[in-house]
Amino acid sequence: MGVPAYYFLWLSGVLFTLGAIGVLIRRNPLVIFMCIELMLNAVNLAFAAISRYLNSLDGVAFAFLVITVSAAEVVVGIAIIVQVYRAGRAMDVDEMDLMKE
Amino acid sequence: MAVAFAVLAAWLLVTGIGVVASRRPIYNALFLVANMLGLAVVFLILNAQFLFAAQIIVYAGAVMVLFVFIIALLNPESDVTVGRSRSEWLLGGLSGAVFAALLIVLLANRDLGGRPGPFTPEVINHAGNVQSTGTALYTTFLLPVEVTSVLLLVAAVGAVYLAMRKPR
Repeated sequence: MGVPAYYFLWLSGVLFTLGAIGVLIRRNPLVIFMCIELMLNAVNLAFAAISRYLNSLDGVAFAFLVITVSAAEVVVGIAIIVQVYRAGRAMDVDEMDLMKE
Repeated sequence: MAVAFAVLAAWLLVTGIGVVASRRPIYNALFLVANMLGLAVVFLILNAQFLFAAQIIVYAGAVMVLFVFIIALLNPESDVTVGRSRSEWLLGGLSGAVFAALLIVLLANRDLGGRPGPFTPEVINHAGNVQSTGTALYTTFLLPVEVTSVLLLVAAVGAVYLAMRKPR
């Protein structure tokens, strides 16, 4: 392998940061979900890189679990978003404040 | 290998910025598909072929189809974030830059600690990538795999319940 391990970890960190910025500055819940997917993907990249450079399969196995959990999370999250839409509310996380009351 | 990594890193960064900064949700989704496909190729570089296949099938396939389908169904108008509050973009970008700088300092030029395991690429490819990964998943990680299968079941039931409920 010509590429040092920490290059992959840097890439992963930058992608994770991009996702985190997206969660902070976007208001559309669908877009926020996509940014969360970006963060999960970045973590998968770190898992796979460490797994490869330490000659282990544990990271790959964990990446599979992360993929499964994110699929479950997307299913429930999108069901909630559709429910919010059907209630006639705006697609804006600042407007979704029923839990505050 | 280094050239391939550089190209893929640039691709991932550009599409990642596209995911965060695009105005219309459908463009966000398409950028995310491009990002996930690029990441799948990075998995290929890292000798995780099974993860590559799962990434394309589950993420770029199933999850993104769900996103695009919902966007087509709900047709949300373009995000009103831009122009509403510049300071939020500034604060978000600033905290992100600080976070990235911390991460990069933390990871700067440092080798991974820890003892290397027995699964070199030669060993994995000799046994077969799917075989080695499957063995790891169904022996060492049997309990987490079972727990995530229960989680998937609960998520499916929860989604059906939420879809059946009448909104107030």
